[in-house]
Amino acid sequence: MLLDATTLSLAIACGVAAGVLAGLFGVGGGIIFVPTLVIIFSFHQLDAQATSLAAIIPVALIGAWRQNTEHLVYWRGAVIMGVGAAFGVLIGAEFALRLPEATLSRVFGMVLLLVGGEMIISSIRKLQAKRAAAN
Amino acid sequence: MDLETQIGRVGVLPYVGIGVVSGLFAAMFGIGGGIVIVPLLILITKMPARMAAATSLATLILTSLMGVIRYSGSGHIDWVAALVIGTPAVVGVLIGIRFQKRLPAEWLILGFGLFVVAIGLKLVFAL
Repeated sequence: MLLDATTLSLAIACGVAAGVLAGLFGVGGGIIFVPTLVIIFSFHQLDAQATSLAAIIPVALIGAWRQNTEHLVYWRGAVIMGVGAAFGVLIGAEFALRLPEATLSRVFGMVLLLVGGEMIISSIRKLQAKRAAAN
Repeated sequence: MDLETQIGRVGVLPYVGIGVVSGLFAAMFGIGGGIVIVPLLILITKMPARMAAATSLATLILTSLMGVIRYSGSGHIDWVAALVIGTPAVVGVLIGIRFQKRLPAEWLILGFGLFVVAIGLKLVFAL
Protein backbone atom coordinates (compact mmCIF):
# COMPACT_ATOMS: atom_id res chain seq x y z
CA MET A 1 0.00 0.00 0.00
CA LEU A 2 1.38 3.35 -1.09
CA LEU A 3 0.71 6.24 1.26
CA ASP A 4 1.63 9.73 0.08
CA ALA A 5 0.06 12.94 1.43
CA THR A 6 -2.60 13.13 -1.30
CA THR A 7 -3.68 9.51 -0.90
CA LEU A 8 -3.79 9.89 2.87
CA SER A 9 -5.87 13.07 2.85
CA LEU A 10 -8.27 11.60 0.27
CA ALA A 11 -8.63 8.44 2.37
CA ILE A 12 -9.29 10.49 5.50
CA ALA A 13 -11.92 12.61 3.71
CA CYS A 14 -13.67 9.50 2.36
CA GLY A 15 -13.48 7.88 5.81
CA VAL A 16 -15.12 10.86 7.49
CA ALA A 17 -17.83 10.95 4.77
CA ALA A 18 -18.51 7.21 5.23
CA GLY A 19 -18.77 7.74 8.99
CA VAL A 20 -21.18 10.66 8.66
CA LEU A 21 -23.45 8.53 6.43
CA ALA A 22 -23.16 5.69 8.95
CA GLY A 23 -24.18 7.89 11.86
CA LEU A 24 -26.94 9.65 9.98
CA PHE A 25 -28.57 6.68 8.26
CA GLY A 26 -27.40 3.58 10.16
CA VAL A 27 -25.47 2.11 7.26
CA GLY A 28 -22.01 0.66 7.82
CA GLY A 29 -20.15 2.84 5.38
CA GLY A 30 -19.14 0.01 3.04
CA ILE A 31 -20.88 1.84 0.21
CA ILE A 32 -18.06 4.43 0.43
CA PHE A 33 -15.27 2.26 1.90
CA VAL A 34 -15.26 -0.26 -0.95
CA PRO A 35 -14.98 2.26 -3.86
CA THR A 36 -12.43 4.26 -1.82
CA LEU A 37 -10.22 1.19 -1.43
CA VAL A 38 -10.65 0.20 -5.09
CA ILE A 39 -10.09 3.67 -6.59
CA ILE A 40 -7.64 5.36 -4.20
CA PHE A 41 -5.71 2.34 -2.93
CA SER A 42 -6.06 0.23 -6.12
CA PHE A 43 -7.40 -2.75 -4.17
CA HIS A 44 -9.00 -5.77 -5.84
CA GLN A 45 -12.76 -6.01 -5.27
CA LEU A 46 -12.57 -8.93 -2.81
CA ASP A 47 -9.73 -7.35 -0.78
CA ALA A 48 -11.69 -4.09 -0.69
CA GLN A 49 -14.85 -5.83 0.56
CA ALA A 50 -12.99 -7.78 3.26
CA THR A 51 -11.02 -4.70 4.42
CA SER A 52 -14.20 -2.61 4.40
CA LEU A 53 -15.79 -5.11 6.83
CA ALA A 54 -12.84 -4.64 9.20
CA ALA A 55 -13.21 -0.84 8.99
CA ILE A 56 -16.95 -1.07 9.71
CA ILE A 57 -16.46 -2.81 13.09
CA PRO A 58 -15.21 0.26 15.06
CA VAL A 59 -17.73 2.52 13.27
CA ALA A 60 -20.68 0.27 14.17
CA LEU A 61 -19.36 -0.24 17.74
CA ILE A 62 -18.85 3.45 18.55
CA GLY A 63 -22.02 4.47 16.70
CA ALA A 64 -24.23 1.92 18.49
CA TRP A 65 -22.62 2.78 21.83
CA ARG A 66 -23.32 6.50 21.26
CA GLN A 67 -26.94 5.87 20.22
CA ASN A 68 -27.38 3.52 23.18
CA THR A 69 -26.74 6.40 25.58
CA GLU A 70 -30.08 7.75 24.30
CA HIS A 71 -31.78 4.34 24.45
CA LEU A 72 -32.25 4.22 20.70
CA VAL A 73 -30.79 0.73 20.17
CA TYR A 74 -33.18 -2.22 20.22
CA TRP A 75 -30.55 -4.83 21.12
CA ARG A 76 -32.77 -7.92 21.01
CA GLY A 77 -33.88 -7.08 17.50
CA ALA A 78 -30.27 -6.36 16.50
CA VAL A 79 -29.02 -9.75 17.76
CA ILE A 80 -31.88 -11.63 16.08
CA MET A 81 -31.19 -9.82 12.78
CA GLY A 82 -27.47 -10.57 13.12
CA VAL A 83 -28.13 -14.30 13.51
CA GLY A 84 -30.61 -14.21 10.62
CA ALA A 85 -28.03 -12.45 8.45
CA ALA A 86 -25.53 -15.27 9.05
CA PHE A 87 -28.04 -17.72 7.53
CA GLY A 88 -28.88 -15.28 4.75
CA VAL A 89 -25.22 -15.07 3.74
CA LEU A 90 -25.02 -18.87 3.45
CA ILE A 91 -28.16 -19.04 1.27
CA GLY A 92 -27.10 -16.00 -0.78
CA ALA A 93 -23.69 -17.50 -1.54
CA GLU A 94 -25.49 -20.49 -3.16
CA PHE A 95 -27.72 -18.25 -5.31
CA ALA A 96 -24.89 -15.96 -6.32
CA LEU A 97 -23.07 -18.86 -7.98
CA ARG A 98 -26.10 -19.91 -10.02
CA LEU A 99 -27.60 -16.66 -11.26
CA PRO A 100 -26.09 -14.06 -13.61
CA GLU A 101 -24.69 -11.24 -11.46
CA ALA A 102 -25.54 -8.35 -13.81
CA THR A 103 -29.25 -9.26 -13.91
CA LEU A 104 -29.34 -9.69 -10.14
CA SER A 105 -27.80 -6.29 -9.50
CA ARG A 106 -30.32 -4.64 -11.84
CA VAL A 107 -33.26 -6.28 -10.09
CA PHE A 108 -31.91 -5.26 -6.70
CA GLY A 109 -31.35 -1.73 -8.00
CA MET A 110 -34.96 -1.52 -9.14
CA VAL A 111 -36.17 -2.72 -5.73
CA LEU A 112 -34.07 0.03 -4.14
CA LEU A 113 -35.56 2.61 -6.52
CA LEU A 114 -39.07 1.55 -5.42
CA VAL A 115 -38.20 1.53 -1.71
CA GLY A 116 -36.32 4.85 -1.89
CA GLY A 117 -39.09 6.42 -3.98
CA GLU A 118 -41.69 5.33 -1.42
CA MET A 119 -39.63 6.88 1.38
CA ILE A 120 -39.23 10.16 -0.52
CA ILE A 121 -42.95 10.40 -1.37
CA SER A 122 -44.18 9.48 2.13
CA SER A 123 -41.81 11.94 3.83
CA ILE A 124 -42.76 14.77 1.47
CA ARG A 125 -46.46 14.05 2.14
CA LYS A 126 -45.82 14.21 5.88
CA LEU A 127 -43.88 17.46 5.52
CA GLN A 128 -46.75 18.95 3.49
CA ALA A 129 -49.32 17.80 6.07
CA LYS A 130 -47.21 19.37 8.81
CA ARG A 131 -46.99 22.64 6.89
CA ALA A 132 -50.75 22.62 6.24
CA ALA A 133 -51.41 21.97 9.94
CA ALA A 134 -49.12 24.85 10.91
CA ASN A 135 -50.98 27.31 8.68
CA MET B 1 -41.48 4.45 21.64
CA ASP B 2 -40.72 2.10 24.50
CA LEU B 3 -38.03 -0.41 23.58
CA GLU B 4 -39.73 -3.48 24.99
CA THR B 5 -43.15 -2.86 23.44
CA GLN B 6 -41.45 -3.04 20.06
CA ILE B 7 -40.96 -6.82 20.07
CA GLY B 8 -44.26 -7.45 21.86
CA ARG B 9 -46.06 -5.83 18.96
CA VAL B 10 -44.48 -7.51 15.97
CA GLY B 11 -42.86 -10.62 17.45
CA VAL B 12 -39.50 -12.19 16.61
CA LEU B 13 -40.22 -13.33 13.04
CA PRO B 14 -39.93 -9.94 11.25
CA TYR B 15 -36.47 -9.48 12.75
CA VAL B 16 -35.41 -12.98 11.65
CA GLY B 17 -36.74 -12.22 8.16
CA ILE B 18 -35.04 -8.83 7.88
CA GLY B 19 -31.76 -10.39 9.03
CA VAL B 20 -31.96 -13.23 6.49
CA VAL B 21 -32.82 -10.83 3.65
CA SER B 22 -29.94 -8.48 4.53
CA GLY B 23 -27.47 -11.41 4.64
CA LEU B 24 -28.87 -12.77 1.37
CA PHE B 25 -28.42 -9.42 -0.38
CA ALA B 26 -24.98 -8.91 1.15
CA ALA B 27 -23.79 -12.22 -0.30
CA MET B 28 -25.47 -11.67 -3.69
CA PHE B 29 -24.78 -7.96 -4.35
CA GLY B 30 -22.08 -6.97 -1.86
CA ILE B 31 -24.56 -4.43 -0.48
CA GLY B 32 -26.70 -5.58 2.34
CA GLY B 33 -26.21 -3.87 5.62
CA GLY B 34 -28.11 -0.81 6.70
CA ILE B 35 -29.42 -0.05 3.23
CA VAL B 36 -31.62 -3.16 3.52
CA ILE B 37 -32.14 -3.21 7.31
CA VAL B 38 -33.21 0.41 7.90
CA PRO B 39 -36.05 0.68 5.34
CA LEU B 40 -37.37 -2.78 6.29
CA LEU B 41 -37.37 -1.88 10.01
CA ILE B 42 -39.31 1.29 9.24
CA LEU B 43 -41.75 -0.41 6.83
CA ILE B 44 -42.32 -3.74 8.61
CA THR B 45 -41.81 -3.13 12.33
CA LYS B 46 -42.87 0.55 12.15
CA MET B 47 -39.77 1.47 14.13
CA PRO B 48 -39.12 5.24 14.34
CA ALA B 49 -36.40 6.32 11.87
CA ARG B 50 -33.69 7.20 14.41
CA MET B 51 -34.21 3.97 16.32
CA ALA B 52 -34.06 1.99 13.07
CA ALA B 53 -30.72 3.61 12.16
CA ALA B 54 -29.32 3.01 15.67
CA THR B 55 -30.47 -0.62 15.78
CA SER B 56 -29.07 -1.20 12.30
CA LEU B 57 -25.63 -0.06 13.52
CA ALA B 58 -25.85 -2.56 16.39
CA THR B 59 -26.66 -5.35 13.91
CA LEU B 60 -23.67 -4.33 11.80
CA ILE B 61 -21.31 -4.94 14.74
CA LEU B 62 -22.29 -8.62 14.53
CA THR B 63 -22.41 -8.98 10.74
CA SER B 64 -19.10 -7.19 10.12
CA LEU B 65 -17.47 -9.22 12.90
CA MET B 66 -18.71 -12.47 11.34
CA GLY B 67 -17.49 -11.30 7.95
CA VAL B 68 -14.04 -10.49 9.31
CA ILE B 69 -13.83 -13.90 11.01
CA ARG B 70 -14.77 -15.54 7.70
CA TYR B 71 -12.06 -13.61 5.79
CA SER B 72 -9.37 -13.68 8.48
CA GLY B 73 -6.38 -15.78 7.49
CA SER B 74 -7.33 -15.53 3.81
CA GLY B 75 -5.01 -12.58 3.28
CA HIS B 76 -7.82 -10.40 1.91
CA ILE B 77 -7.93 -8.01 4.87
CA ASP B 78 -5.43 -5.13 4.89
CA TRP B 79 -5.48 -4.03 8.52
CA VAL B 80 -3.45 -0.86 7.94
CA ALA B 81 -5.85 0.32 5.24
CA ALA B 82 -8.80 -0.57 7.49
CA LEU B 83 -7.27 1.62 10.20
CA VAL B 84 -6.56 4.49 7.78
CA ILE B 85 -10.21 4.70 6.61
CA GLY B 86 -11.85 3.36 9.79
CA THR B 87 -10.36 5.90 12.22
CA PRO B 88 -11.67 9.02 10.44
CA ALA B 89 -14.97 7.16 9.99
CA VAL B 90 -15.29 6.79 13.77
CA VAL B 91 -15.04 10.59 14.01
CA GLY B 92 -17.55 10.83 11.16
CA VAL B 93 -20.10 8.54 12.82
CA LEU B 94 -20.18 10.80 15.90
CA ILE B 95 -20.67 13.85 13.65
CA GLY B 96 -23.44 12.05 11.75
CA ILE B 97 -25.28 11.09 14.94
CA ARG B 98 -25.02 14.64 16.28
CA PHE B 99 -26.49 15.94 13.01
CA GLN B 100 -29.21 13.25 13.08
CA LYS B 101 -30.36 14.43 16.53
CA ARG B 102 -31.26 17.86 15.13
CA LEU B 103 -32.95 16.55 12.01
CA PRO B 104 -36.76 16.06 12.08
CA ALA B 105 -37.77 12.43 11.29
CA GLU B 106 -39.38 13.39 7.95
CA TRP B 107 -36.17 15.02 6.73
CA LEU B 108 -34.18 12.01 7.88
CA ILE B 109 -36.42 9.63 5.92
CA LEU B 110 -36.32 11.97 2.91
CA GLY B 111 -32.51 12.00 3.03
CA PHE B 112 -32.37 8.23 3.37
CA GLY B 113 -34.80 7.84 0.46
CA LEU B 114 -32.55 9.99 -1.77
CA PHE B 115 -29.53 7.93 -0.66
CA VAL B 116 -31.34 4.65 -1.46
CA VAL B 117 -32.45 5.97 -4.89
CA ALA B 118 -28.84 6.98 -5.66
CA ILE B 119 -27.61 3.44 -4.89
CA GLY B 120 -30.52 2.01 -6.92
CA LEU B 121 -29.57 4.11 -9.96
CA LYS B 122 -25.93 3.04 -9.58
CA LEU B 123 -26.94 -0.64 -9.66
CA VAL B 124 -29.52 -0.36 -12.46
CA PHE B 125 -27.15 1.51 -14.78
CA ALA B 126 -24.09 -0.45 -13.55
CA LEU B 127 -22.12 2.73 -12.85
